[in-house]
Amino acid sequence: MTITDPILSLDGVCAGYGGGDVLQGVSFEVNRGGITCIVGPNGAGKSTLLAAVTGLIKPRVGSIKFNGETISGLSPRAVLSKGVVLVPQNHSLFPDMTVRENVELGAYTIKDRQVVKDRRDKIEEMFPVVRSKAKDKAGSLSGGQQRLVEFARCLMLDPSLVILDEPSMGLDPKTLHVVFQTMRAMNADGRSILLVEQNAKAGLKASSHGVVLENGRVRLLGTGREVLEHPEIATLYLGGSVEAAGGVR
Amino acid sequence: MSNFLRAVIDGVLTGSVYALMAAGLTLIFGVMEVINIAQGILVVLGAYLSYVLSVHLGIDLFAGLIITIPVMFVLGVGIQWGLMRRLGEREKVSMSILVTYAVAIILEGVLDLIFGPGYLQLTAWYVNQSIHVFGFYLPYIYVFGFILAVGLLGSLYFILYRTEFGRSLRASQQNKTAARLIGIDVNRVAAITFGIGVAVTAAGGMVFGATTAFNSNSSADLISRLLTIVILGGMGSIGGAMGASVLMLVIEAIVSTYWSPTWATLVFYMVLVLVLVVRPAGLFGQKAVRAQ
Repeated sequence: MTITDPILSLDGVCAGYGGGDVLQGVSFEVNRGGITCIVGPNGAGKSTLLAAVTGLIKPRVGSIKFNGETISGLSPRAVLSKGVVLVPQNHSLFPDMTVRENVELGAYTIKDRQVVKDRRDKIEEMFPVVRSKAKDKAGSLSGGQQRLVEFARCLMLDPSLVILDEPSMGLDPKTLHVVFQTMRAMNADGRSILLVEQNAKAGLKASSHGVVLENGRVRLLGTGREVLEHPEIATLYLGGSVEAAGGVR
Repeated sequence: MSNFLRAVIDGVLTGSVYALMAAGLTLIFGVMEVINIAQGILVVLGAYLSYVLSVHLGIDLFAGLIITIPVMFVLGVGIQWGLMRRLGEREKVSMSILVTYAVAIILEGVLDLIFGPGYLQLTAWYVNQSIHVFGFYLPYIYVFGFILAVGLLGSLYFILYRTEFGRSLRASQQNKTAARLIGIDVNRVAAITFGIGVAVTAAGGMVFGATTAFNSNSSADLISRLLTIVILGGMGSIGGAMGASVLMLVIEAIVSTYWSPTWATLVFYMVLVLVLVVRPAGLFGQKAVRAQ
């Protein structure tokens, strides 16, 4: 699979949290304007990979480029300023703050109040829950509503790459549908999406490209459909190991 | 009845100053999840600084705060940048206790070296004179201390809830990773917060030194009381620390009036044990404990 216009490129990235490398030479590219889904079993290194991309940890070796510019080793704030935002796996709202405060904090690095207000107005139109629950404490919302507020907050910086870490976690099927619909809407709005998903089937179905990560290494690469239909993908989730298959990687 | 009312008024006036000192301690814990055992000796240091300005430079105790508050702020930022920032995430709370205990021991030794073991007390006209209000004679220093504490706590609330920095502080307090991911410099927030938490000890120390004879060893009792207040109010909860301060000091004053000053101190800690048996998170501490 060849990606002609990557928005994000990882090349031989090794990274971890101090107790050895979780990522062991990860290389792949994220297609501009597409949705790339990373799947893999627990402990595969998916969240570590996102931490390395967003500046929460520094890769020991390897490079990460965004729009052709090296971002590996930059601080989270610097990565953010390039237009890369992450919606983390665990609830990332500030529970004792109102929904409006949470959303406005998404534009923390923007000092022009008018820009913040304009963006907030636009986002409130996109996400009715942000307007209807504006004065409610974020911690009082349901899991699905919190997810949508997290999405809304991440759009305050008008990012070109949105990274979603396990957006389906803990959601019922109906809410999951809304969340994926919102993700597609963000993508249709011109944003590239990098999605990490435990629910491999739902994630890959919604994605243009797929990456299978196992034991800190990329084991499969392809279009979403190719990866989804790979005969050994199911084996991986049953605890087996994928053997690199021709034609996909 | 008048004795009871008198005890309540004394408790509220003194409690407000403790609230100020405890607010600093709980603010630091809330943002950094570190326990500043040195808060007691920093209060004593604040008292000594006021003493130096008052005795050697003739600066009024309250006016001197214009100098001592920024000095203590810088000291707080220095402790955070020099020591606390270097603590790893693992066993951070216990390590912070050890490090700040070391800071307390060093400061205590230095103060003892400079000022000696003798007790001092800050003096000014308002320390020795009283005002007659509603049939009670209240020392001016308690009234002024109360006004100062209310003013500073009000300022603290303004900073927390009405400024951009306050937002970043509350965000860091509630979810550090998420705060970093939206571009908040959590280390900078932590340094300023530590600075603010220590800066309030300048004011607390001044009122403490004007109402109580102190020496370099006075910090042990102070930090015990402050920790009791912070735990009772709920770790990390500023409102809790304020409520617990007033509650504890009122109870202490009532016990002291009706029973004995000796028992008053014991009751202070007994209340803590009883409350923790019923509410392990403290009186107002649900959120703070969840955040841990």
